[in-house]
Amino acid sequence: MTRSFKIGIFDDEERFIASVKTLHEKGFLIYDVFTPYPVHEIFNMLKRKTRLPTAAYFLGLTGAAATLGFLVWACVISWPIVYGGKPFNSFPSFVVITVVITILFVALGSLAVFSSAAKILPGRENTIFDLRSTDDRFVIVVETVAPDGSDAENAGNLMMKNGASEVVVKKIEKVIS
Amino acid sequence: MYKRKLRGPLIEGDKTLGQITREVLNPMEVKPGKWWYIAMGLSLIATLFGVYAMYVTVTKGIGMWGVNNTVAWGWDIINFVWWIGIGHAGTAFSIFLLVLRQRWRTSINRSAEIMTVFAVLCAALFPTIHMGRVWNMFFLFPYPNTRGPLWVNFNSPLIWDFTAVSTYLLISASFWYLGTLPDLATVRDRTASKVKKAVYGFFSMGWTGSSRQWIRFESLAFVLGGITSVLVVSVHSIVSTDFAVGIEPGWHSTIFPPFFVVGAIFSGFAMVMTLMVIVRKIYRFTDYITDNHMDAIARILIFISLIMGTAYATEIFISWYSGSEYEIFTQFRNRITGDYYIQFWGMILCNAIIPQLFWFKKIRRNWIALLLISLCINLGMWFERYIIIVTSLSKDFLPSSWAPYTPTLIDVGVFMFTIGLFISGILLFLRYIPIMAVSELKGVLRIGDKKDD
Amino acid sequence: MNKSRKRTGKHDFTRRDFLRIFGYGIGSAVVLSACRRTVQNVLPYIIQPPEITPGKALYYASSYYDGHEYASIIAKTRDGRPIKIEGNSLSAFNGEGTTARVQASVLSLYDDARLKNPSIDNTETSWEMADAGIIGDLAKVNKEGGEIVLLTSSIISPTTIRLIKEFGRGFSKFKWIQYDAVSYSGIIEANMICFGMPVIPDYNFRNAGLVVSVNADFLGTWISPVHFIPGYAERRKPEIGSKEMLRHIHYGSGVTVTGSNADIRKKIKPSEEKILLADLHNRIAVLTGQEKLPGSGFREDLAEIASELIASKGRSIVMSGSNNTGIQIIINRINYMLGNYPRCIDLNNNLNVASGIDSEMQALVSEMKAGRIGALLMYNVNPCYDYPASQDFIEGLKNIRLTVNLAVSRNETVGKSKYECPVNHFLESWDDAEPVPGQLSLAQPCISNIFNTRSLQDSLLKWSGKAADYLGYLKAAWEETYFPQSGMTVSGDFWNKALGKGLFTYNVPPREIPKFSEESMKHPSVIRASLMEPGFEVLLTESIPLGTGQHANNPWLMELPDPVSKHCWENVASVSPRDAQDLGITTGDMIRIREDLVLPALVQKGQTEGTISVAIGYGHTDSGLVADRKGINVYPYVGMADGNRIYGFTISKPEKTGKHTDLALTQLHDFMEGRPIVRSTNLSKYKIDPSSGNEFHEEFESGHRTLYPEITYDGFHWGMAIDLNLCVGCNACVIACQAENNVPTVGKSEVTRHRVMHWLKIDRYYSDEPDNPRVFFQPLTCQHCDNAPCENVCPVSATNHSSEGLNQMTYNRCVGTKYCINNCPYRVRRFNWFRYTNNRAFDFISASDLGKMVLNPDVTVRERGVVEKCSFCVQRIQEKKLQAKLENRTLADFEIKTACMQACPAGAIVFGNRNDEKSRVSALFSDSRSYGLLEDLHTLPSTRFLTKVWNDEKKNL
Repeated sequence: MTRSFKIGIFDDEERFIASVKTLHEKGFLIYDVFTPYPVHEIFNMLKRKTRLPTAAYFLGLTGAAATLGFLVWACVISWPIVYGGKPFNSFPSFVVITVVITILFVALGSLAVFSSAAKILPGRENTIFDLRSTDDRFVIVVETVAPDGSDAENAGNLMMKNGASEVVVKKIEKVIS
Repeated sequence: MYKRKLRGPLIEGDKTLGQITREVLNPMEVKPGKWWYIAMGLSLIATLFGVYAMYVTVTKGIGMWGVNNTVAWGWDIINFVWWIGIGHAGTAFSIFLLVLRQRWRTSINRSAEIMTVFAVLCAALFPTIHMGRVWNMFFLFPYPNTRGPLWVNFNSPLIWDFTAVSTYLLISASFWYLGTLPDLATVRDRTASKVKKAVYGFFSMGWTGSSRQWIRFESLAFVLGGITSVLVVSVHSIVSTDFAVGIEPGWHSTIFPPFFVVGAIFSGFAMVMTLMVIVRKIYRFTDYITDNHMDAIARILIFISLIMGTAYATEIFISWYSGSEYEIFTQFRNRITGDYYIQFWGMILCNAIIPQLFWFKKIRRNWIALLLISLCINLGMWFERYIIIVTSLSKDFLPSSWAPYTPTLIDVGVFMFTIGLFISGILLFLRYIPIMAVSELKGVLRIGDKKDD
Repeated sequence: MNKSRKRTGKHDFTRRDFLRIFGYGIGSAVVLSACRRTVQNVLPYIIQPPEITPGKALYYASSYYDGHEYASIIAKTRDGRPIKIEGNSLSAFNGEGTTARVQASVLSLYDDARLKNPSIDNTETSWEMADAGIIGDLAKVNKEGGEIVLLTSSIISPTTIRLIKEFGRGFSKFKWIQYDAVSYSGIIEANMICFGMPVIPDYNFRNAGLVVSVNADFLGTWISPVHFIPGYAERRKPEIGSKEMLRHIHYGSGVTVTGSNADIRKKIKPSEEKILLADLHNRIAVLTGQEKLPGSGFREDLAEIASELIASKGRSIVMSGSNNTGIQIIINRINYMLGNYPRCIDLNNNLNVASGIDSEMQALVSEMKAGRIGALLMYNVNPCYDYPASQDFIEGLKNIRLTVNLAVSRNETVGKSKYECPVNHFLESWDDAEPVPGQLSLAQPCISNIFNTRSLQDSLLKWSGKAADYLGYLKAAWEETYFPQSGMTVSGDFWNKALGKGLFTYNVPPREIPKFSEESMKHPSVIRASLMEPGFEVLLTESIPLGTGQHANNPWLMELPDPVSKHCWENVASVSPRDAQDLGITTGDMIRIREDLVLPALVQKGQTEGTISVAIGYGHTDSGLVADRKGINVYPYVGMADGNRIYGFTISKPEKTGKHTDLALTQLHDFMEGRPIVRSTNLSKYKIDPSSGNEFHEEFESGHRTLYPEITYDGFHWGMAIDLNLCVGCNACVIACQAENNVPTVGKSEVTRHRVMHWLKIDRYYSDEPDNPRVFFQPLTCQHCDNAPCENVCPVSATNHSSEGLNQMTYNRCVGTKYCINNCPYRVRRFNWFRYTNNRAFDFISASDLGKMVLNPDVTVRERGVVEKCSFCVQRIQEKKLQAKLENRTLADFEIKTACMQACPAGAIVFGNRNDEKSRVSALFSDSRSYGLLEDLHTLPSTRFLTKVWNDEKKNL
């Protein structure tokens, strides 16, 4: 089913933020905004959240436990060997590797989480509403649902009033994101 | 957004966002100058020589090197430690400064990180090639096997090393790559050529710059930054255990981990400075990489150089204070004086004394001075590793086994390979990847800008 | 090559097939070793002979004699290949002890330079042709009344001597001349003159309390060290309550092993030997009221020595290494005055090891030049290399109708005769030997002839037209001569018993020692003043590695460093530090000694000022890949006086050439830097406090703590104790270790780069006086630390600790990070820098199929890129353990012997189980002299050293 969007393009950060604010208050359905660099005000306004740190934390725990467990098993149970008169369970030397491998776990794990949550994968082509959004433009995409197109109308006017450099309408068969 | 007026603007010349994009991406869009091809040619020649050297080493044997039954480690491990040290530039820069919210890092961290990646690559080469039977390297992985299974010796610092370095390489590489995503996307969206679009499209992994992506991007950056800042400290500490865990006089010392980490950051920052001085001159990026940046690095270098000096003094003092005749011999009769006194005093001069010139603002602002001094520091750090490895080994406990060490041409060759690899890598980076984190630059565009005052 | 495809025997089986079979894994095909059965050629097993089990070693008692050095030996063979030589513990002559050269002799069996076929005028031929030719020529020469001369090295085989005599009877004019490269004719003649007995006496250190030696290196090279060392070492034990420890005073020009072991070492010039001894003689004569020699006093300290000698009348030995009859006569009189005959110096049980008379050889050469010799048969001699006037000899050869040369392997003399008749290696031949009257030993082949060779005796039999082969002849001779002495009834039993032991002794009725003939003191050689005119004197000495140079093509010996100067692969000119300073030279600078004699200098602490020592035996030109062009041949500079060769000459002054060369030194630093490495004390201190000199040990023991639970070794806990007081530094252990453990030879350039591979090396340290330092020897090998630093750092667990306390090295797990080498405080780990086997770049032994036959199949041949080190001969440990297990018994002490322990003639090395408190090793571990090297590092080494105890110096000496 075709989805239609009203797209406002700004070249100034302040105006862009202001217009997102008003659109949000007026209860328009903001599909998403696209910016050349992270704009933190928007995150709070649109209640954007991520649980990535939590994921990383638990990845760390598993990593540490797994590594230490393996080391002790390998050195004490699987094949105990005497090195330079040390006991089989020479814990101090295990610490080092445990720390490092834990970090590895966290890093790779959170990369995976990120890639799935943010839809980032090699060769992936997410829908781009305006090419300039990665350069110097700030783009607001409002999804319009009203069959008569009234909401699109209002959203457009609102953005123009807030100082959008231009406003366009896009109808897209299939949105990838 | 927080503002600060203490320092001048992070980016000078009152730019617009579009301008930044154009200027920074410019080197990728125009043909490079003659210098680029010359430099590339030279580094490739070096690399080829190195390839030959390594071929000889692997086919004939480690005997082609200068090492012997008394000094069994030479240039191989010296260069390994040296490169790893340089490899701390990126992480130290982007991550410490990221965690410390030093926004001025933005124009430098990209190149610092790429340096890290290549430096660690070079470093990783040495422990590999220095093995007598490199074709059995897989013995170092604790993989389940039919020999028991026989695991590896987890007490061995070399195993720690192996783990730490490979982890470090993996993470710093992915951290750097993550940072490039938005910029690759920018290139993708600006270019007209189909090929470029396809290639950068593939590698930008579908980045759109939506708020959903940005928030996760930032939080991942902080997660990685956070844990990798642990790595910055741990990697070189672990490298230092190769020596500190050893029994040799001059190695067996608890000061090594911090001493090595500081040394690493020292050489790392020095290398960043070398590179930046050149890049900003060639590409006229003085607006982005401002004198203030250089100044800041120089100040950091003074500070670290003082720490280095203190570390050397401490080492010498402790060796005397320990009362161990072996330690005393190594420090006083084999380093300060003895066969290798030139390297020792070279190290002191380059690491502890010359950087003190940075106290003078004139020198901090003079790019030639910056270049020379930063090169000095890198030389000095190489001497340091030479001193640590060669002097300790050549004259240790039993005088009957004392022997000198002299490298061969093949030793030099392998070193040349890494140098060539490093430089050509950097050159390719300058050509095909945004030199600075464009998106981040835009983020800090207005910091310290007149408009806000 | 086709030339060499000659039949070795009646069967269709050629030498090359033999080699091919050996080339492949020995397991597939095995030689029938020719012992106890005269099988002439090689067959794969069709029916396996009962006494051979593949993989199990066989031991054959035999005898080693190369015309210079004798030892009764046991040859170890694996699958028909002799691979190791041990001393014969039953032998009274050398016991289980051997020397470096005896140990290395097994390698010369597999030398590529060996002669492979007989040849006429240097074209290979068959024995039939050669024999026909020789027999014919001999007959011709005999008919024309030409003189037939047999020139051999000294021969101590009674049966061979008998055979030679019989051979000689076949001709109208026959002369047999024995010729030694290093001659003792001075002693022989002196004893002839003084006592009418042309012999070299036996020096019995067991009965001696005081030894004064003048340039006599009796622990290293002089006469028969392997025979002297055990007695000497036995009397150097400081145990309280036992007899007074042997006191040893040495006068030396160069620094030798003997000088290094002396309690007091004094420097003299060769030219002063005679004056010194004359003075000593006179002082003793005065004190004992006997006739003096003309001549003034020499040194005051001699008074002290004289009185000491008199104090120990009948329990002392005065000896001189000189080959001058006069000096030896004086020596004899001194000893006679002191009544040292026969208790300490025994003319009855004399040493037969050398019997060449120099004047005879000299005469021969002049006759050869004059063309008065009809035929010359040479056996085991190399005069073209080691006769001073070798040119004259070569000239002479040309004037001889018939020249036959019998040699084992290629040398300078080979190829100069009409007929070349290659002889067997001693491990391939039957023979007997009588080093001391009444002490016989047999030699038996341990492998059938590898090449198309034939023993001297068989040739002589053939040429004298006898049908019998030498084995038959030998048996018959023994049956006739010795069987009656044996008191046995069945001659077969007698033979088998003798052969099994390799020994047979019968008592020789002691001859009455005639009075010392005072006439001899008027002998011209005594009257004449010293032969060496004073000046800058050059001393030509035998070296421990190469001896006379006969075995120069043996890579093990070539790479064996000189015990004192620690250089190998060439001969050098040792100069004293002071002379070096005057000349402005350092070690490695080339100096010109004579116009045509330029040698690298080696600054030798303790060398007498104004003297230079140079080793003979080097500088071969045609003796094989290893021997050729290594160093310089100095035999041409050997002089002749009083009918004896003198090994030295005088020059005005050496000059520096300004050229420099890097010497292959295996040790670069001489001092201990005040570290407690070799701990020493002297006898009086030791008697008061046995742990004197070893005070550190207590201290370190008291500091012995650990956070970890101590590892316990139930069952075995192997350990080794090395008594530094017994070790004389002869280096036999080094070669024994190399032979046992397949240690590669790396060549001069690699040694120069400090990559020598010896698992066991003998460190040499000097005390601080640079002009005449004390010398300390310390055998150093893997200490098998219980807290081994090397084990911790190996990333792949290639080295770790066994449950029996061994520090084990797993070659096929090693990836070669070399970390263990760096972390071994003793630096005893060796790295395979290159591939040393099958590599033409290291063509010493291991590059050829033939050479590889010496490898010990029980020890892995290490690959390039792995670390190796001493394993405490783990293969021997396992072998004996399994044997004991099969026989269901516990191991006895001394049952397991490491290669070094077994080879040591002084018994300085003891290996055993530390957990068995009755074992010798645990006794030594608890000895108050014992200490661990670098024990302050708390590595807990399983090798302990015992403090060196010097005999006291008298203050005015």
